[in-house]
Amino acid sequence: MGAAEAYDIRSVDRGEVLRYLGYAGQKLSPELDGRIDETVSHCLGTARPAGCVRVFDVSGVAEKDGVPVIGLAGTALELRGHSIAEHLEGALAVGVLAVTLGMGVEVELRRLSLTDRVGQLVFDAAGSALVERAADAAEARVVAAAAERGLFCGTRFSPGYGDFPLATQPTLLATLDAQRALGITLSPELLMTPTKSVTAVVGLFGEPKEGTGREACGTCLCRDFCLLRRSGRTCGRS
Amino acid sequence: MGEKTNDGSTMSDATHTDLLAAALSGDAFLLFDGAMGTELQARGLAAGELPELLCLTRPEVVTEVHAAYVAAGADVVTTNTFGANADKLGEAATVEEVFSAAVACARAAGARYVAADLGPTGQLLAPMGTLAFDDAYELFARQVRAAVAAGADLFVIETMADLAEAKAALLAVRENSELPAFVTMTFQEDGRTFLGTTPEVAALTLSSLGAAAVGINCSLGPAEVAPLAERMAPWARCPLMVQANAGLPHVVDGVTVFDIGPEEYAAAVSGMLDAGVTVVGGCCGTTPAHIAAERALLDGRVPVRREPPDRFAVCGPQRVTSLAPGAVGVIGERINPTGKRKMKEALRSGNHDHVIAEAIAQERAGAQILDVNAGLPEIDERAVMCRLVDELLGVTTLPLQIDASDPAVIEAAVRSYPGKALINSVNGKAESLSAVVPLAARYGCALVGLTLDEDGIPATAAGRLAVARKIVAATDAAGIPRADVVIDCLAMAASTDQSAPRTILEAIRLVKAELSGVRTVLGVSNISFGLPFRPLVNATFLAAAFGAGLDLAIINPGVRRMMDVVDSWRVLSGEDESARFYVEHYAERSDAVPTAVPSEKGGQAEKDAALPADPVERARRLVLDGRGGPMADAMREVLLAHDAMYAINEVLVPALDEVGRRFEAGTFFLPQLMASAEAAKAGFEVVRAAGEKDGAPAADKGTVVVCTVKGDIHDIGKNIVRMLLENYGFEVIDLGRDVAPETVAGVVVERHVRLAGLSALMTSTVPAMAETIELLRERAPWCKVVVGGAVLTPEYAEMVGADFYAKDATETARIAGEVLG
Repeated sequence: MGAAEAYDIRSVDRGEVLRYLGYAGQKLSPELDGRIDETVSHCLGTARPAGCVRVFDVSGVAEKDGVPVIGLAGTALELRGHSIAEHLEGALAVGVLAVTLGMGVEVELRRLSLTDRVGQLVFDAAGSALVERAADAAEARVVAAAAERGLFCGTRFSPGYGDFPLATQPTLLATLDAQRALGITLSPELLMTPTKSVTAVVGLFGEPKEGTGREACGTCLCRDFCLLRRSGRTCGRS
Repeated sequence: MGEKTNDGSTMSDATHTDLLAAALSGDAFLLFDGAMGTELQARGLAAGELPELLCLTRPEVVTEVHAAYVAAGADVVTTNTFGANADKLGEAATVEEVFSAAVACARAAGARYVAADLGPTGQLLAPMGTLAFDDAYELFARQVRAAVAAGADLFVIETMADLAEAKAALLAVRENSELPAFVTMTFQEDGRTFLGTTPEVAALTLSSLGAAAVGINCSLGPAEVAPLAERMAPWARCPLMVQANAGLPHVVDGVTVFDIGPEEYAAAVSGMLDAGVTVVGGCCGTTPAHIAAERALLDGRVPVRREPPDRFAVCGPQRVTSLAPGAVGVIGERINPTGKRKMKEALRSGNHDHVIAEAIAQERAGAQILDVNAGLPEIDERAVMCRLVDELLGVTTLPLQIDASDPAVIEAAVRSYPGKALINSVNGKAESLSAVVPLAARYGCALVGLTLDEDGIPATAAGRLAVARKIVAATDAAGIPRADVVIDCLAMAASTDQSAPRTILEAIRLVKAELSGVRTVLGVSNISFGLPFRPLVNATFLAAAFGAGLDLAIINPGVRRMMDVVDSWRVLSGEDESARFYVEHYAERSDAVPTAVPSEKGGQAEKDAALPADPVERARRLVLDGRGGPMADAMREVLLAHDAMYAINEVLVPALDEVGRRFEAGTFFLPQLMASAEAAKAGFEVVRAAGEKDGAPAADKGTVVVCTVKGDIHDIGKNIVRMLLENYGFEVIDLGRDVAPETVAGVVVERHVRLAGLSALMTSTVPAMAETIELLRERAPWCKVVVGGAVLTPEYAEMVGADFYAKDATETARIAGEVLG
């Protein structure tokens, strides 16, 4: 079984939830306002965010059928496509992560779909915002692992982005043993359930990457989950 | 024990059978092997690679792992076939090739017994996922047939998180082989599987279904598993099995490691033997050294005998309802169309909101089991029953009582039910006994037996006992435990025969006294048929029936007076210890039955000074503000001065139109649109209810079928569309999510529907949309199709052959008006 870690996430950015709901500055009634707050805390209470993270060295970059393919040492995982090749260009190692909010959120979404469709919409948005926070937490583990080796992280990139195929999912999840460790299952259409799950890869580089938001802790998405800051360090150049 | 040989073929068959047979009856320990996956990784298996293929490519490595466990003293080795199903193997190899090679590897290692390993399919079963129960069953059945052909001795079904999936695997073994199946599920630190199943539920369901042993594997170390195994013990009617991990895994220097060493592991297992565990081994991180330590432990011990206590028990996937002797239980009777107009309408139309509301209300009122009956002559009872069960599983954790007279309906519902259901019912007729008793036995269900036979309902208590005896003889012969048999002595109207009540009470007494271990149930309310003020008669009779020994009452738990009898009886019988529940819930009650039951949210009068005094204005405002709570009151006031048409056409629809305009203009966003739709719906319901009272037909603008296409379980968009269409007066047949093209076409043809709305969220499910449209064109050329969903564009819509593309729900409503108007 793969090693899973539970993430203690007690808040989610309300603005983020509203953004998922398509909010563009409309005036909210106090009722709806209260309902959104209630639903967000209900989602936080229901979710059991957890993740698996492993870091593998890049074993080589080959080209198959005119498409670049990055191999990872000790795994059957191949990262295929121009987008991921560009994203990971120069990476020495790659962090592979999967996170989920657990089946409890899924069960509640189904209950709401049968009983309270406004609630379902808001709960779903809260779950989407929350699972990204869980992915931030997982990414923070990669950042820490990189710092251990004197390396610097890029940002995460998920199967389905650009031409990085969704077909990567079965092997990616198997590499982390994510079904046993996290309970993530995959449908023939490559849909993960629980649906509030994220998989991604993060590059580890010899030099700091530009535009990652990690230039300063204030702009870093992983800030709240950073393992380095606790020991008074940063992942930056100095 | 402890006999070891390096060549399975030289071992006598007698010895072979003996240890396994003794272990299956709980008289001997059985030691399985330890981890395969982590051992293979130590020998160079790449992460993410299919370990099962090594049976074909490097059989010597697999045999080496097995042999080490045999040398360590394992009685059973488990084949390297955890993920060897047709779906996961894909093109790489066939299931038959892998099982054949895997069993050969195990045999070559000199294993005493070879257990064919069946792990989860990797997909999530419907309704939460998209894999149909029957398809999961087929994946397992192929593995089972392959393992039998390859010569396996037994099966181990393991690491299951989904009770339905465990059930599919166990049925596949039972129906495709004669071999015993050991079934273990995997639990998290909170004591539940990923899908919320508890150890009690797993043990009860799987042992009732005929597992040779039940238990726990993976996820946790032995110390964490021990208390969960103890929780299982009183619910398992078969040996208990534990294969824990060597602690919780963590990563050190990029490698997954487990911390619990052999001695510590065996010490924890020792405690579990005391609790009655007799089948042990190891899971992830355990090594031959762990198994050797267990061998040494077992050789100095004898199995502890367990006697599961006498109790009636059924369960859903997350919760057990159980009654110790003397305790009473409540079965909610409301999900049954007989004599209930709204329920009939719900089952006919396929709009199950009313059913769901009844389920939730009954659970809240104190029901412990829900009766589900879909018996209407003009519907496909089997399909409706299955859909109801799926939906009820989504909204209640209560176990279900499958209430049908057609054995095919019963079988369809209980076969895939994730839990142990109660079947209602069999009766004393030979035909019924031969059709229904085998179903209860085969699917491990409890069974209600009605005391009537070819001669009708016996007039005397002795006559009913005689029928009960006949039923119990059949259930005994089928191996159904007495505690799973529940006899219904059938309540008859006191108004037509005043001796009827005494006869029923006497019959209950006789059944309990003469047929030891059997339980009784009664649909109580028939007793008062034809009398005024029926609840009082029902309540009095219920108390008398409890006194006579009734175990389960089928009642409407929403009737306060009935639950008052139940709650107070539990004090008098001693079931409610120290009257704790009673004192907590009744300390403030001043009268036995309050005149009105306080309703939930919404009923509370919301006085809001900011709302307009004029009811028409107020209703409009409430729609625009998206406030459903005060809506019903406002609408009732509107109807005092206006008719229904005015209420709809001059109040609700204009308000909704304004909401639509605001949404278009961007001054409203989605949750506001939906909250408004919800408020309007509350208003429509008042108008509709008033219209029914006056006999006026409800406004009907035509019918629309909506669904999310096959393979896709995202239904938010579809639900929004449904709400809005309903608001505008369309009848909506909501087929749900992950709906097969045939289902859509079937309904469209049957109801001659003129507009179908299809939704897809993912690029990978758009082809299913095209398929659905193609089938509709073929079978229902009259039907227009509107499509929508996150990945859809007008171009995509055209590509899949749709008539319309709707970018949002308001546009769908407009299109529906255009097509059906």
